[in-house]
Amino acid sequence: MDDFKEITSGNKPFKRAYVAIMLWFVGRAIQAAARVDKNVKGEFKKLPEGFTFCLGVLPKGPYMIVGKNEKGRVKYLGWEPGGRRIDLDMKIKSIEAAILMFTFQESTAIATARDRMIVDGEVPHACAIVRVLDIGEVYLLPKFIARQAVKRYPAWSFGRKYIGRVRIYFRSILGY
Amino acid sequence: MFFPDNYEFYCPVKINSGNRALEHLPVELDALNARKPLIITDREIAKKGLIKKIAGAFKDSGITMGIFDGTPLVPDLKLVRRLMNNYRDTGCDSIIAVGGGAVVDMAKALNVVVSGRPEDLKEVAGEDLIKNPLRPFVFVPTASWTGFETSRFATLGELSFSSHFLMPDLVVIDPRMITSEKANTVVSTAMIALAHCAEAYTCPAKNPMTDTYAYAAMQFVTENLANVIKSGDKKGRLALANAATMAGIAFSNSPRGMVHELGWTAGDISGLPHGICMGILLPYILEYNINSEGHHMSDLLLPIVGPEVYAGTAENLKARRAINFIYDMQHDVHDITRGGIPLTLKDAGISKDALQCIAGATVGDGHTGFNLDDCMVILEHAWEGKPVKGGLQLPVHS
Repeated sequence: MDDFKEITSGNKPFKRAYVAIMLWFVGRAIQAAARVDKNVKGEFKKLPEGFTFCLGVLPKGPYMIVGKNEKGRVKYLGWEPGGRRIDLDMKIKSIEAAILMFTFQESTAIATARDRMIVDGEVPHACAIVRVLDIGEVYLLPKFIARQAVKRYPAWSFGRKYIGRVRIYFRSILGY
Repeated sequence: MFFPDNYEFYCPVKINSGNRALEHLPVELDALNARKPLIITDREIAKKGLIKKIAGAFKDSGITMGIFDGTPLVPDLKLVRRLMNNYRDTGCDSIIAVGGGAVVDMAKALNVVVSGRPEDLKEVAGEDLIKNPLRPFVFVPTASWTGFETSRFATLGELSFSSHFLMPDLVVIDPRMITSEKANTVVSTAMIALAHCAEAYTCPAKNPMTDTYAYAAMQFVTENLANVIKSGDKKGRLALANAATMAGIAFSNSPRGMVHELGWTAGDISGLPHGICMGILLPYILEYNINSEGHHMSDLLLPIVGPEVYAGTAENLKARRAINFIYDMQHDVHDITRGGIPLTLKDAGISKDALQCIAGATVGDGHTGFNLDDCMVILEHAWEGKPVKGGLQLPVHS
């Protein structure tokens, strides 16, 4: 039949690359924020030892894996889940949904409310990670963008916000 | 709120509606254990580039899909069998119907065939004869619907099917797919939804679940129809598409009412869109049933007019005010379209002689418990545009 055909789905390489870079940077920023910000430190302190979480995009990535080792240090573990045990798996349903989040058109909370994410793991852990992501976005983004990306923009002191921002950017770029 | 002594409600339909909803398709198919969908649509939809949008939603998923874009206005069994061969030869395992009406009817029939044996189709025509779950079935609405897409009904030529297994597993309503259409199409779709919901909401078989779907759908229609016709309002179009989805679910869980039966037959006989006929008939039939035993006409006021008017209306006037609102809404639509949407069956071009034929065919098809005289009274009033029990005397927004 002329009106029947088979097609193979194409790719979205640029959007995937953009999201991969964002996830890479956010992962390193979380590692940095866990050393710099007391609230992020506190959130991770409450999580169990060896806790690992993955934030990624369905169906085939990119991903970001962050874990807490037995010494309590938070570390960005790369973009390949590999055979790792993941305690909390947060998946964005599509690359388009990830673009909405990472171009800050939708906050993490709104994306969750709009069913753009699938969470496999403990709900309290997921809530803690969403709070960490929110804090990370406040550090990384200028206020007019961050206001779109977080649930409520916090009233932080000058020192916490700007000195913290410099330290987190510095640590994220250098990766420690 | 009315609470029945006992009731049944069944809805397996997952609704995914809103911005970028299409992009959830790969994940949703995966959840349904489907890896290779067959997309069914028609030439018009393909020409509008909507299939490209669907294919775009699968990018990065690695999924290969079959596409059939040749659904005719009246699909037949022969075509369904040809498509079944394509489906099986290419290893498809699920169906996505993009569009409405004939496309969905054919997709449902194909699903029956590919889930069993081709010869099953004639055997399972009728009421509740499909006994097993079918293959994953997704419906993506565009702009013109018959209102049956999310329901348990399907028609293929002379064959009619009714089974809960025909309801889609998933409905994806994406604003990019709900294109702007002619006023006739918009009104027809909206009126089918309003008619089905008004009947589900007021009939003696109503229950809290059908009420929930019908309530929201009626609100969406009454709040958005005029804007969509006037300006093609994008958000309004999405709301109407949601209303049509919900109406199909309410309709699947309610007995078929007089508006549906008479309107459907009138559409078949006159060649007019079914929704236009149902829209004309709706207030006349509600009015005819205003004091009928077991009907809940006064409940209708709250969803279609809102809490302020509802609270300010005496109990004994609520039903009439609701009906008058529907008459007023028809006049508004008629004015906005500069007479394009008829107010009476006479304006719609139906001859008075045809009324007997419509009533006879409705009563004679064996599905209804209506009698010929009732049908004739309603049809004659709707033909002349004369309220059945002297309506239109109470201003709605007083």
